[in-house]
Amino acid sequence: MSQLVIENVSKAFGTQQVLRDCGLAVDKGSVVTLLGPSGCGKTTLLRSIAGFLVPDAGRILVNGQDISHLPPNRRDVGYVFQNYALFPHLTIRENIGYGLKIRRKPKALIRGKVEDALGLIALTDFGDRYPKQLSGGQQQRVAIARSLVLEPEVLLLDEPFNALDAQLRLSMQIELRKLIDRVGITSIFVTHDQQEAMTLSDRIAIMRGGRIEQLGTPLEIYDHPQTPFVADFIGRANLIPVAIRSGRTDSPQPIAAAVPDGPGTLVVRPENLTIAEGPGPGWEGSVGFATALGATIEYEIDRGVGEPLRAILPRQPGVAPLTPGSRVTARIRDEAAAILLSGSPRP
Amino acid sequence: MTRPIKASAGHVMLPIDRIARWVLIAVTAFSILLLIGPSLIVIAISFEPRAYIAFPPSGFSTRWYQAVFANQQLLDSILVSVRISLAVMAICLMIGVPAAFASIRGTFRGRAALNAFLLSPQMMPGMVIGIASLFFGAYIAFRASDLMLILSLSVFCLPFVVRIVMARLADLDPLLDEASANLGAGKLETFARVTLPQLAPALCAASAFTFIEAFDNVTVSLFTSDVRARPLPVELYYLVQFDSSPIIAAISSLEIGLSFVVMLIIAKAVGLERLGR
Repeated sequence: MSQLVIENVSKAFGTQQVLRDCGLAVDKGSVVTLLGPSGCGKTTLLRSIAGFLVPDAGRILVNGQDISHLPPNRRDVGYVFQNYALFPHLTIRENIGYGLKIRRKPKALIRGKVEDALGLIALTDFGDRYPKQLSGGQQQRVAIARSLVLEPEVLLLDEPFNALDAQLRLSMQIELRKLIDRVGITSIFVTHDQQEAMTLSDRIAIMRGGRIEQLGTPLEIYDHPQTPFVADFIGRANLIPVAIRSGRTDSPQPIAAAVPDGPGTLVVRPENLTIAEGPGPGWEGSVGFATALGATIEYEIDRGVGEPLRAILPRQPGVAPLTPGSRVTARIRDEAAAILLSGSPRP
Repeated sequence: MTRPIKASAGHVMLPIDRIARWVLIAVTAFSILLLIGPSLIVIAISFEPRAYIAFPPSGFSTRWYQAVFANQQLLDSILVSVRISLAVMAICLMIGVPAAFASIRGTFRGRAALNAFLLSPQMMPGMVIGIASLFFGAYIAFRASDLMLILSLSVFCLPFVVRIVMARLADLDPLLDEASANLGAGKLETFARVTLPQLAPALCAASAFTFIEAFDNVTVSLFTSDVRARPLPVELYYLVQFDSSPIIAAISSLEIGLSFVVMLIIAKAVGLERLGR
């Protein structure tokens, strides 16, 4: 049985519908990320689970128990805030012990658990400091420890890496994933950063306009996006509008189609394009921009119509990149890895 | 010869900068003198041994301080003022703190209007509040009395509490309340453990300010105080008309001392610079 179940949750702020019929089931110990652009409803959904918001419709169940109508302080759900929301007037120890103190646990027990938590986040020597004396990364660990000492059923994290600089972000993501695995807690992240979602998650729920547009493992979503929006949001993709006629696309490099005739979208990852100099069978255009990234070179190819194509090619040492303006032809390297969706790229 | 001089901060300092700096020091010194000069003169006069006001004093005597403590009428008025100021303080806190919460955290319509209304007594001269209270009191058949004085001074002092508490509340992260709830605390417990401790310095400052404002207010008190139980400022106001002895200076010096002590307490509790915001 899934530990956390969200059933048909909807929410409107005034006339604006921010959640539409969201459904999600999360297994014990797994990590799910709600990923989407700002305004897609991901934070609203997270706040609904914590009880800071009451949905207009639908149910939220933890271990089969409906918690939809419980106030936030009666839900067994931890929440890590984007700005950490540590209590500035309390020391790190007091911050971590806050929930236990509220629960009127014996002093000795609180002391022991707080020390364990400080050890878990490697901040044993910082217990008597105040939050503002800690770095952003340290504060984040304190915020997580403050929730974890209460051993909640579910841990919710609202863009926890937003306030960290890029350098620290990736190492903190890996650290946090390890910590979650060690504790074995069911977690839900909210983020708008797809790389973060790929690093952290067992499964990703892509949200858009208040709906969950696709749910799957990171690689499932990367390899088999169900809509052009998802294809564009997870990883980078060229979305090429095509027409499908009698089972084939009308593109310069025709692709066999398993979708009905009509308008379609060909999704091609930049690393799945090759380019050759001069005209040929494929998408012809001129190099608009070339970026040498060390191991790879990224080309932007202007076709005169539509959006430029992006191609990422391995760089061969000693071979100069193509200069802007060169005439080239782009082809799909592996037709099996090209994805064909019905409908135009931007509905 | 004009030679650039290296200043300590590492910037090149020109002679014009040096002149500007001296002008700044002079203006600052003059302003400070203007601000505290009168107080210093009053304190000096209070030690005058003779029975009339003179500066500089002709000698040193504490006889006027003794006179203050021997004057039952003055002592009574001090007690009246203390009693009234404490009551005003209590009323202003009881109304001002919830009002500040509504004004900062509320999401209702007309919040801006409430804000303006709460702070409006500050734009009004005390005398207007005094006269208005007196007329209004007469209209509802309410005589000048202790209660009347307390209510009119509360109107006068309310903006101090509202402003100080609002400034602090605006700095408090509302997410801390959510964090507290998420960790299991109910609303009251969150208020007691999270909000109040962070608000305490502001409450301390607001109380002190309100007390001082109520304690030395003349403009409102003149109209609304009971003739049989005059507060200290009104008592002094009448006293100067008939008495020109340094007893006035002695009692003023005592008041200066009181204000000084209160400011010291605030400075310890909050830090004066934070009240400026």
